[in-house]
Amino acid sequence: RARGRPQERGSPAGAAALWLLWLVSRAAARAACPPGDTGCRLLSVSDLFDRVIRHSGRIHAELEKHFPPRGNELGRPARKCHTSRMATPKGKELAQNLPREELTHLILKLLQAWKEPLSHFNQHIEHHQELSDDSLSKAKQISNMVHELKTGVEKVTEKMQSMGIISNSLNGMASSEAAGLSISNEANLMSDSDFIHCFRRDSNKVQSYLKILKCRIMPENSC
Amino acid sequence: MTQKFISSVPIILLLSLTTVCLFGQQFPGKPKITRCRSLEKDTFSCWWKPGPDGGLPTNYTLFYSKDSEETVYECPDYRTSGPNSCYFDKTYTNHRTTYNITVMATNEFGSNSSDPQYVDVTCIVQPDSPVDLSLEMTTSAGVTDLWAKWSPPPLAENSSNWHVYHYELRFKPEEEEKWETVSVGVQTQYKVMNLNAGLKYGVQVRCMLDCGEWSGWSPERQIQIPSGQSPPEKPTIIKCRSPEKETFTCWWKPGSDGGHPTNYTLLYSKEGEEQIYECPDYRTAGPNSCYFDKKHTSFWTIYNITVKATNKMGSNTSDPHYVDVTYIVQPDAPVNVTLELKKPINRKPYLVLTWFPPPLADVRSGWLTLEYELRLKPEEGEEWETIFVGQQTQYKMFSLNPGKKYIVQIHCKPDHHGSWSEWSSEKYIQIPSDYRVKDMIVWIIVGVLSSLICLIMSWTMVLKGYRMIAFILPPVPGPKIKGIDTHLLETGKSEELLSALGCHGFPPTSDCEELLIEYLEVEDSEDQQLQQSHPSKNTRLASKETDSDSGRGSCDSPSLLPEKGRESRTLPSKLPSQDVREVHENNAGSGWETQCVASSEDRALPFNIAGTKSSTWPAANIHPSTFAYHSTVDAPKITLSTTNVNVAAVLVGNEEKHQNYSNSEMFYYLFKSMGIFLTQQR
Repeated sequence: RARGRPQERGSPAGAAALWLLWLVSRAAARAACPPGDTGCRLLSVSDLFDRVIRHSGRIHAELEKHFPPRGNELGRPARKCHTSRMATPKGKELAQNLPREELTHLILKLLQAWKEPLSHFNQHIEHHQELSDDSLSKAKQISNMVHELKTGVEKVTEKMQSMGIISNSLNGMASSEAAGLSISNEANLMSDSDFIHCFRRDSNKVQSYLKILKCRIMPENSC
Repeated sequence: MTQKFISSVPIILLLSLTTVCLFGQQFPGKPKITRCRSLEKDTFSCWWKPGPDGGLPTNYTLFYSKDSEETVYECPDYRTSGPNSCYFDKTYTNHRTTYNITVMATNEFGSNSSDPQYVDVTCIVQPDSPVDLSLEMTTSAGVTDLWAKWSPPPLAENSSNWHVYHYELRFKPEEEEKWETVSVGVQTQYKVMNLNAGLKYGVQVRCMLDCGEWSGWSPERQIQIPSGQSPPEKPTIIKCRSPEKETFTCWWKPGSDGGHPTNYTLLYSKEGEEQIYECPDYRTAGPNSCYFDKKHTSFWTIYNITVKATNKMGSNTSDPHYVDVTYIVQPDAPVNVTLELKKPINRKPYLVLTWFPPPLADVRSGWLTLEYELRLKPEEGEEWETIFVGQQTQYKMFSLNPGKKYIVQIHCKPDHHGSWSEWSSEKYIQIPSDYRVKDMIVWIIVGVLSSLICLIMSWTMVLKGYRMIAFILPPVPGPKIKGIDTHLLETGKSEELLSALGCHGFPPTSDCEELLIEYLEVEDSEDQQLQQSHPSKNTRLASKETDSDSGRGSCDSPSLLPEKGRESRTLPSKLPSQDVREVHENNAGSGWETQCVASSEDRALPFNIAGTKSSTWPAANIHPSTFAYHSTVDAPKITLSTTNVNVAAVLVGNEEKHQNYSNSEMFYYLFKSMGIFLTQQR
């Protein structure tokens, strides 16, 4: 099959992350759009969103490639993810009915919740002999990408807030940080395969929410 | 009178017979083959009844021949089956032949043989029983049938297939004694009916050839008829699918129902919850399915699904099936596949293929993102070419062959997890052929012009062909030697030739030799040195010093140096320019520039080989390989290297031998070879 997914191709995640950061910062700092031209500013937000969504897609692809789901994973009962207690919408309508600010906040909260456990996981698997060296580097890469993604989403949020697309709610980054810390401790108790399973699920959630958010805000472009 | 005589003949015979009988001297009576049977497997025996032997000791021998062969064999074994019998063991029964058997009774007076008996071994010998008997229960529409299937016994080698087996089947319940036998005919399967549920039955088959006996019964096979008094079998969940990532359906396969109507219920629980729910909708998706609508579908949640089958006798539950709806999305095929041919100016036309996502998939909200793939093949082709398109819903095709018909299909898949949909219905594309009037006119003009040119050329060839050929490929001039008639050379008459040259008589007389030697006088000072090395013959030469240009022409230019030694061959290239010019003047491009100017004095004909190199004619010794060397090197224009080799071959040989060649002999051979060369060239 001729498959040409750009996301899956060789762009090293480091370079991609840097590129994303650069673009995001540039876009955020850009004064190229004349003030008052809402059309122009909206376009750049859409651009940002696309990049962020693509980045999350890349995380997903890396995960699928290097930590693929094993057949018996679903069979094991009572898997408790440390983010299970977070009230995340479990369906399309539920996600669409959430206000934009809440949805954005939720995305950030999820990403924050994984920051600590990922770094801990990296330290943990260094001592693990079963995973190959390749997996070790990939795990590190993935946690970096998650960090970049979070930064990217933060930038987009700022942009949206500055443009008035979403309101500056009080649930800012600070509270998300606090919320994240309390639940990340549970992550340390999970087994490796559970960990990967939970992470896969949450990264899928993040991507879905991002897509829904984007198409709600800017329905015209590629929705 | 004759009548009386004739009528009296039998009386006479009778009288003689009775006298013979009375005297007791007679040959044996005719034996009779009573029967041939197979007592054991794969063997048979034949018995005969002896005829009246009159009390005399009689020997009985059995003869047989196979099929229609001529060879007659004798019975292999008279003992095993008793007196007056012949036993054929299994080596005889393998061949499925027909034996022609006769028994001969012999005593001291003569012999008498029985009528021949034809025995078809296949019919005599008991066949093997059928093999591979299998029993199968099939249930359809509530009715259960037992099918028995078997295979005919394996045939031995050299067997013929014109015998048909007939089969018989018998069955009985395990506990009973009496078998129920059914004649099956020539089929190798049979549906056994009227079986009681709940019992265990045994089944056997046997076979018979159309002319023989029944085989033994095959080994018994047993089967348990399911009774109507059992709980149902465990159902299995086949798969669960979501077409649009909002609802999903699960299908299961029921097991056997144990003879009673069975009810199926689907029960599920969600990850993290204790409560068990029942399927909300058994109907929408068809029989043996459960449809979960939007309200009942949760994502990022693992469902634990089981199906329970219940009937009067009890219930049975399937194995649990875990499913997370996020990963089981399989959309419908894309719809509204349309083609448009775009013809931009100054560019080749191309096709634009557009389609729409399946109607149920909600792509607008970003909830479900689909990726598309299309496949293409020419109508007659075998292999599909698959092209991954990505998330866009259109595709431009540039590189299709005009005039051909293509089939195109599209399918889609969710971007991260899930499976590919079915292919959309086939769409046919007919590429319009790239026929432009302008192009055709150009081709027509080109065709006409080229045919005109061809015509003209062929016409000129016909009319002035010869001259043209002569112009393009000038003929190769033959060797021109004044005084030599080339025809003479061809015919090979050496006397005439040599006489023409002024050399009278061959083998060359001393007169000729003298002439030649005289002609080879060397004139340079350098030659004097050489003369010293060849004192024997060249003493005379030293005295004579003649001018090189005294009418002798270029044949004996001063550059004709004798050879100093065999190894070091210095080819002097210092032909006096005058001579060179002369040489080239007279001959036009011929390799062998042989010219002999018949001078008043001498008529010798040394040869001068054209080119910048000159030939060296040592007075006494001509090294043959030198000559060969020259000839092969200096005759580039003539490609008859074989000729040169021939020439050389004449000369090359034992070095010592050639030392004794005299010059005239050399010339003779040269002429000869020239003749050969000329004939070859023609």
